[in-house]
Amino acid sequence: MTPPVGSLRLRLLLGAAVWILLALVIAGLVLAELFARHVQDRFAVELGHHLDQLASSLRIDAEGKPDLVRRLPDPRFSRPLSGLYWQVSANGRVVLRSRSLWDQTLALPADASAEDGRVRQWRIAGPERQPLYGLERSLLLPEGPESLQVVVAEDLGELDAAFRAFNRTLALSLAALAVALTVAAVVQVTLGLRPLGWLRDELAEIRSGRKRRFQRPMPSEVQPLIDDLNALLDHADEVVERGRLQAGNLAHGLKTNLAVLANEAERLARPDAQREDAEVARLMLSQVATMRRHIDHHMARARAAASRGLPGRGTDVADCVSALVRVMQKVHASRNLAIRAEVPAGLTFAGDRQDLEEMLGNLLDNACKWAKGAVAVMAVRESKQLIVSVEDDGVGLSSEVFERALSPGTRLDESVPGTGLGLGLVRDLVTSYGGKLVFAPSSESGGLRASLRLPALS
Amino acid sequence: MRLLVVEDDPILLRQLRERLGTEGYAVDAAIDGTEAAFLGSNEPYDAIVLDLGLPRRDGLSVLRSWREEGLSIPVLILTARDHWHDKVLGIDAGADDYLAKPFHMEELLARLRALIRRARGHASSELRAGPVVLDTRTGTVTTDGQPLDLTGYEFRVLSYLMHHAGEVVSRTELTEHVYAQDFDRDSNTIEVFIGRLRKKLGGDLIKTVRGLGYRLEIPPDDAP
Repeated sequence: MTPPVGSLRLRLLLGAAVWILLALVIAGLVLAELFARHVQDRFAVELGHHLDQLASSLRIDAEGKPDLVRRLPDPRFSRPLSGLYWQVSANGRVVLRSRSLWDQTLALPADASAEDGRVRQWRIAGPERQPLYGLERSLLLPEGPESLQVVVAEDLGELDAAFRAFNRTLALSLAALAVALTVAAVVQVTLGLRPLGWLRDELAEIRSGRKRRFQRPMPSEVQPLIDDLNALLDHADEVVERGRLQAGNLAHGLKTNLAVLANEAERLARPDAQREDAEVARLMLSQVATMRRHIDHHMARARAAASRGLPGRGTDVADCVSALVRVMQKVHASRNLAIRAEVPAGLTFAGDRQDLEEMLGNLLDNACKWAKGAVAVMAVRESKQLIVSVEDDGVGLSSEVFERALSPGTRLDESVPGTGLGLGLVRDLVTSYGGKLVFAPSSESGGLRASLRLPALS
Repeated sequence: MRLLVVEDDPILLRQLRERLGTEGYAVDAAIDGTEAAFLGSNEPYDAIVLDLGLPRRDGLSVLRSWREEGLSIPVLILTARDHWHDKVLGIDAGADDYLAKPFHMEELLARLRALIRRARGHASSELRAGPVVLDTRTGTVTTDGQPLDLTGYEFRVLSYLMHHAGEVVSRTELTEHVYAQDFDRDSNTIEVFIGRLRKKLGGDLIKTVRGLGYRLEIPPDDAP
């Protein structure tokens, strides 16, 4: 029997059940055997006493016939068919018998007539054909002319009844013991495995962002595992943080240099510049733009890839949206936009705050660039997901442009500042969270509605 | 209009100073956070361009300490940190605008103009006082539609007076906003610029308020 590898609990329980069953069956067999031997020994000894009593009570009376000096004390010898019998025969003829035999005789096997005085055991049929256990010896009384054959027999049925009663009680007790032991095993396994349940609960909390590390003290067998897991989490955080920092430093350093190059190129490209200079300037500007796109693209990809492996952290959506709206109101202040946010309190995104800020920030920024006068952010919860939609009252986009809007580096309108990378980044981040980004015409304002579908935290 | 530009990259700083100077701004420069914090707190700038990754003291902490002091000068953050998270931090620290590197110089100029205008409560990019119109976008001045030829300092004086139209502006204030810090200032030259401006503009648009300074009159029909 191979227990399923899947369940530790089942393995332990099956093991316990096998041992309990085996131990109790062996105990039962041994006890039954011991009891049977003991009872049989007692039975034989008692019957021997009866035989001795009978032998010592025999005498030959005046007429030369065998007779009892006194009656045997056991009352069962006097009650008819009581199960306890005696008989005395001489030369194969029954001369005396117990009252319990009534008008029957005990038929001894043919060869049961040794005359050496040894006690012999027999199994014989009783007056009602029931099996009897008999002891027999021959006896030569000093007064008597011939040897007497003395038999004492008792019904084996009584023994069998005693065995049956004992075995029944034994079986019941052992069964009860088996049940009790099994229950104990279940309790033991359940209690013993409980720390694994705690571990799972805590891991779920860490995954969902309610906790950063395993904190609950664990049994000494599990604690090293917890310590290792915590160290692993620390290490992962550290690696991600270091990677982000270094990538960030690289990007920031490069961008300042790009800014210098771009400014120089723009200066070269002024209307009064020479034709050659203007061409060089155009080349420089386009190269600067390409380099910036590369930096942004790979930074965004690195960011999306890094956040994928990390346990999620809860982010309050309302908080994040209001921070971004503050930014939009400043950055797009000259456009005099009415930015409306309808986000219910307590709505939580199952992920990193900076990632949500990147996704929503880009969508909001686009909306603010295209809007005529109003931008709206709305968030709702739909079972285990949250849907954040950003709507503007601009001219909207045709369905053909929707597709293009999502390919990396595409700019929808070269005259509006921005590289167009925003949407590619949003898409990468959304994908890394298993979410969805959908564009549709806004039913209210006729502009564009971008809807983000992301995992929510309960 | 006098600006403080905080930038630790020397070449970018030179480019910014040159271009902003051409646009008619008086420009002071700081190359680290400590210097920036000191200048911003002690000199009357009209706007500050602030980088974030600075030596000695981070730009965000400098900005926060200005706002804690109650300094309300408009601040534009010009930085390579272009994540939305950084923008939230910048705006919440008290910035009025945020521009990520690399940037178009024209966009920086436009945003600065808008910032200064908004700080004075002007909605339009054109400032108007009677027949005189100053277009902050192009940096041109016209009277009755005729373009006016002004020198750099004349433009700065007129621009400051028009941004503060109707208010009394002292000679010291004008000096502080027209010259950069390291310039050898002489408040008498302000009188020279005022005199030339009066001649070019005609009329009595610029009034002298005895003992206090100057005031640009707003004719009643186009008061804001």
